[in-house]
Amino acid sequence: METRRAEFWVPYRLIAPAVALEAALVIGPLLVGFWYSLHNVRFFQIRSFVGWDNYVRVVTSPEVLGSLAATAIFAFFSLILTFALGFALALWLERDGRSATLMRAIVLVPYMIAMLVGSMLLKWLFSQEAGLSQLALGPLGMGDVSILANPKSAMAALVFNAMWRDAAFAMIMLLAGLKSIPPSLHLAARVDGADAWMRFRRITLPLLRIPILITIVRLLIHFVNILTFPLILTGGGPGNATEVVVLRMFRLGFQDHILGPANALAILVFLANLALVAMLLLLFRRAGRL
Amino acid sequence: MADVFAHALRRKSARLAINALIGVFALLPILWGFLSSLKPTDKIVEFPPRLLPEHPTLEHYTRIFADNAAYFIANSVAVSAASVFLTLALGALAAYAIARFRFPGRDTLMVSTVAVMSIPIASLLVPTFTLLSATGLADTRLGLVLLYAAYQLPVVVWMLYGYFLSLPVEVENAARVDGCSPTRTLFKVVLPLSKPGLVAAGLFVLVFAWNDFVVAVTMTSSEAARTFPVAIYFYLGFYGREWGPLLAASIVSIVPIVAIFVFLQRHFVSGLTGGGVKG
Repeated sequence: METRRAEFWVPYRLIAPAVALEAALVIGPLLVGFWYSLHNVRFFQIRSFVGWDNYVRVVTSPEVLGSLAATAIFAFFSLILTFALGFALALWLERDGRSATLMRAIVLVPYMIAMLVGSMLLKWLFSQEAGLSQLALGPLGMGDVSILANPKSAMAALVFNAMWRDAAFAMIMLLAGLKSIPPSLHLAARVDGADAWMRFRRITLPLLRIPILITIVRLLIHFVNILTFPLILTGGGPGNATEVVVLRMFRLGFQDHILGPANALAILVFLANLALVAMLLLLFRRAGRL
Repeated sequence: MADVFAHALRRKSARLAINALIGVFALLPILWGFLSSLKPTDKIVEFPPRLLPEHPTLEHYTRIFADNAAYFIANSVAVSAASVFLTLALGALAAYAIARFRFPGRDTLMVSTVAVMSIPIASLLVPTFTLLSATGLADTRLGLVLLYAAYQLPVVVWMLYGYFLSLPVEVENAARVDGCSPTRTLFKVVLPLSKPGLVAAGLFVLVFAWNDFVVAVTMTSSEAARTFPVAIYFYLGFYGREWGPLLAASIVSIVPIVAIFVFLQRHFVSGLTGGGVKG
């Protein structure tokens, strides 16, 4: 009896350190951030309780609203293009063999390296000084156009950055899904005379539904919270054209040091994320992984 | 017959062409940065640009090392290594509990593990900085290690949980019958059998910690606690439009990741699909 009582507490003792760390550094900050968001904060000192004022200030600020629009544009185009490219790569590189293995590894390189470094390399690639854009656009009569100095092309460059790095992630997720489709299904359909497009529509797509949705939601979470790409590649510019919402939050908190509104915006972004995460959890449950 | 052969050849060359296109898309920015980093300053911005450097030089590499790069790299190595060990230690304990015990709260724990690993770091930055500066952990390497461990712990728990499930329970039961405590069984029997799982999970943390820029740049400000990616970011302001040292630093940051990747790719990919990705 004594040992069984001791046994009861064993799993709790095993999980305690991990739970404590998560509570302190994930849950803790959210509580502190929420507390700060309700106050007037100056130089890291809480001055006075202001209720929801910071929230009102944040959601009515033209800069924040502008950053939401930039986030929506960036996330929309990045999601579509990254997913499409990742799916194409997954279908193209699904087969076994040495060349497909090598190509999968090559595609993963931009994903493996630091986001900061990737964006830095693209910044150099797109910069006027590198001369590549001039070389490519010169014949079109746009030789002296700097890609990163024009709002539209700067946003396009940002979307390209997302595609370049994250198509590999979509590919890996979808490849795992493709692997779980029994080859016998394709074989049987072939025997019945179904062509490649038919097999894709009737076998691959339906059986890949949950992996596709999981990939889309995870990409969306990633793109909505993007910070490194715009911070390095475009600096949010030109003007505020590529200042996405997390970059705005970053500047409020770490450059302007107005922690009240910064925390209010962080809590709002967190709530948006929570909705996306809830969707993801439902999908995981449907997939039988939870 | 000849027709079939020509058809096969056409197919093969089309496949090769598409693969070449994918390769250029993925690697050109890196290759271009690497080649530019080997050119002397005045040749970097030469127009029309040349792909290959005429007189390759390492001057930009010696320059960043003269500007303290070795210290920042050492910081990154120390922080990454400590994060790996802390995360694996805490993660193995928790994963073992979930894999081998049925206890009230276990389901909640599993759902919150997946939930926490899906929460992006971005929304936590400002509140976390607020908390760290209140506790004196801001601008310290220890603070970074604790944060990296906290962010990667859910993924590691999830990965190791999956791995532990794949191990036969009989050996453990034998150890338990012989009087081993659960913790002792974990350390003496389970972990020695789990090397591939530990390597995969450890790599995941290692790459995250080595690559992280967002957390480090927001939580540290002094040179003493600066990691290499943050140093590269500061080089961006420091060298201004001098691309040579910037590109050299970028390439230095890539080399260990590519080396790890070449030798241990399979271990890494298992983490991507199984767990969550933060970044």
